[in-house]
Amino acid sequence: MTYLRRYIVSKALWYALAFVVAMGLNFLLPRLIPGNPVDALIAQYLRSGGQGEAASRVYQAFLQEFGLDEPMGQQFVTYVGNVLRGNLGTSFSFYPARVTDLIAQALPWTVALQLPAILIGWILGNLLGALAAYKGGKFDRTLFVGALAVSSIPYYAMAILLLYFLAVVVPVFPVAGGYSFGLSPNLSVGFIVDLIQHYTLPFLSLVLIAIGGQAVGMRSMAIYELGADYVNYASGMGVKENTILRYVFRNAMLPQVTGLALSLGTMVGGALITELVFSYPGIGYLLFNAISLNDYPLIQGVTLFIATAVLLANFLVDLAYGFIDPRIRAVQMGER
Amino acid sequence: MKRTWRTTAFLGMVVLAVAVAGAAPAFAQGLPRNQTLYIAGFQWGPANHFNPLAPNAAWPVGGNGNPDQQAPGYVYESLFLYNIVDGRFEPLLAREMKWVDATTLRIQLQPGTRWQDGKALTARDVAFTFQLAERFALGYSSFWQYVKSVKAVDDRTVEIALDPAKPNRPLVEQYVATVMILPQHIWGPLADKGRAELMQFTNLKPVGSGPYQVQSYSAERIVLQRFEGYWGKSLYGMPTPKYLVHPIFKSNDAGNLALKQGDVDWSQQFVPQVWTLHNVQTWYDKEPYYIPGSIPLMIINVHKKGLDNVQVRRALAYSIDYALIARTAMSRYSEPAKSSLILPTGVESQYFDEQLVEQYGWKHDPKKAVQILEQELKAKKGPDGIYVLPDGTRLSFTVQTPYGWTDWMAALQVVSQSAKQVGIEVRTDFPQAPIVSTNVQNGNFDLVLWYVSQVGAASPWTRFRDVLDDRGVPPIGQQAFQNYGRFSHPDVAGLLDRAASAGSPEQLKEIYGQLDRIFMENVPAIPLMYRPLLFYEFNTTHWTGFPTSQDPKAPPMFYISVLRLVRPK
Repeated sequence: MTYLRRYIVSKALWYALAFVVAMGLNFLLPRLIPGNPVDALIAQYLRSGGQGEAASRVYQAFLQEFGLDEPMGQQFVTYVGNVLRGNLGTSFSFYPARVTDLIAQALPWTVALQLPAILIGWILGNLLGALAAYKGGKFDRTLFVGALAVSSIPYYAMAILLLYFLAVVVPVFPVAGGYSFGLSPNLSVGFIVDLIQHYTLPFLSLVLIAIGGQAVGMRSMAIYELGADYVNYASGMGVKENTILRYVFRNAMLPQVTGLALSLGTMVGGALITELVFSYPGIGYLLFNAISLNDYPLIQGVTLFIATAVLLANFLVDLAYGFIDPRIRAVQMGER
Repeated sequence: MKRTWRTTAFLGMVVLAVAVAGAAPAFAQGLPRNQTLYIAGFQWGPANHFNPLAPNAAWPVGGNGNPDQQAPGYVYESLFLYNIVDGRFEPLLAREMKWVDATTLRIQLQPGTRWQDGKALTARDVAFTFQLAERFALGYSSFWQYVKSVKAVDDRTVEIALDPAKPNRPLVEQYVATVMILPQHIWGPLADKGRAELMQFTNLKPVGSGPYQVQSYSAERIVLQRFEGYWGKSLYGMPTPKYLVHPIFKSNDAGNLALKQGDVDWSQQFVPQVWTLHNVQTWYDKEPYYIPGSIPLMIINVHKKGLDNVQVRRALAYSIDYALIARTAMSRYSEPAKSSLILPTGVESQYFDEQLVEQYGWKHDPKKAVQILEQELKAKKGPDGIYVLPDGTRLSFTVQTPYGWTDWMAALQVVSQSAKQVGIEVRTDFPQAPIVSTNVQNGNFDLVLWYVSQVGAASPWTRFRDVLDDRGVPPIGQQAFQNYGRFSHPDVAGLLDRAASAGSPEQLKEIYGQLDRIFMENVPAIPLMYRPLLFYEFNTTHWTGFPTSQDPKAPPMFYISVLRLVRPK
């Protein structure tokens, strides 16, 4: 048990360090974009004419409000302090919305799009891959080629293809957005149908590729396992085929579980381009807007959020392996 | 058995898919179409706040004092609405304004003005709204550069006393017609807590005095519902649509598609080739389709080597094919730009002097450009076809404008090609908008295509001041908020001050003429095209009665007065 504790503690420390580095980069990177965010804010704000001294007064007031008149070091200390208190600041471009609120609004869309796509893609992909490996022959060849082709299309290209064929050439699905602008969100049948219509294409663009990728991976693993000694031994011993298949499946699953955990971690930032192609509300869309408007707090907030999610997922995978597989734990602790 | 199950499942999925795809329009009962007017083109992101004092306020509130961002009179009302066609002030909250002497403006409110929460709207609310901009640095604080005091004489009367040292009547009138009046009983306590408190107030249930209230908003749309208790019901009548919906599009294309299909009735978006759309009309039924409202200017940094020579600037001005810009970049929505800071059509046309432009201005004339370069400047063409001045300065410059301002980018491509034909190199550079903003203010550019003051009650005064006045403008490297090219001329300040207090239109025309001559002789900037103040187009599939040039009951603006004219079809 002490080994396990030491393992967890050392892992936690590494991730804490990575988190600190991520936070520093988060602070620094947006500030390396040339241009001053307040300039952009002001340009809109003072459109009406009559400028002069009043304009510089307004400018100073905003610099002060956002703390941009302070030296960088001081800004960083304030930023870290705020982050630790769970305060990601006020957005410039969506002033005066809180960054946390903006993320909270965008997050459900991203999760609702990605989580089912990842899970369904993973389950179907693995089943198909295992089936192909087991059945072999024509089924395997067809599926393998198909899956390989689909999985090698970049997901944004898939998004554009689907958009083109199913929304423009044959306009079965809407072109863009989360739901029709003529509706307000409610729990009626009409609204839910509309929601599903808008959901279908972005979802398909993600899930098709996920299925393809998972199937290819699973197929190779399963073929490898099917040729393993224990399978030969078991079938020689007359173990029932279904039981053998179960073992094969479980062993082949191990690396696939890692893949699943990692894609769940990168889920938040992963669908950026899909969201852009379909103007689908979500974190990716939010980040894109933030970057083009030089919105430091929002960029910081979103990237920190993504970084945290990825780190957390990796940490959990590491922990899970620590529990599941003693070999890995042993290697990590330098006991081999 | 197994096969049947599979077939059933497959058929079920097909049926489901078809149902999902086909059924939505039938289920999607939204607001009644004949009582709902869809407006687009003001709001491009989610509505975060309805605070007119803070930046980026959502439609219909917009920024206080910024007529191109707000829908005046919907929720909050201004005292007047300014008609950019005939220059008259339409009464709204106020009945009339009168200059009782050279520096005192008296404004009379309409009887019975009331807030949507039932409280009376009095002269004290008006004074409070203007005083806010004196207490805090706000978007309309410049008002106080020219004003000494604003006070409520009685319940119905407001008096604005100008600063006798610099009385600027047009500018004060412009603010009177654009600042939306706020209820003191709601905003007063906030203001007492300080600027941050005031600015960060989200005001999600705005209490205004207009005939609409915000019913709901989301990242997809903003919905206004008619407020039946409107104080002006008997005076003005109610607007026709019961609901106003502003869908929030993520791109111009989506919005234009919706306008084309009649899903949007009234739009403020740049639509390419608007004349090709069925059922879609604009202010004019022929070119240029819109009334010009602003002049995108290519501002010249007069301190850059080469551009500090007025002959070089003139040669550049002669080289540009203005007609080509109007035809291509502006999709025929502009006449070829003239060499004047005054708009040749609309309300400013009374000051426009064609003769002056003929005499001192420039137009597209590549031969003349070459003549200036070779004979007056004694420049020699280098082996690369670009002229070099006798002191060795190669005539090569960079012009900037923000990436994504597509019509402006296209205009600069024309500039670049035109200039190259006479032997001046103009390279284009399109950074992100915040970067261009910073560069412009700090004078970090050779040439930049940027906006200056648009048409309004105080134009073209504001435009001349923006381009020519060097008072209070810091040197290059420090932040300026006007005269970005750092131009300077001894006569400008005096002329501007005279114009600000001029009595008659004839006098004004004479002064503006002198200013325009200074502009044309010194070329601190080059007008490239005209742009409507607002793109004003409507689809008559569901609603009719929108004013046009043939039926000009209201100006081509998104004023509340238009909503009293429209009728469902």
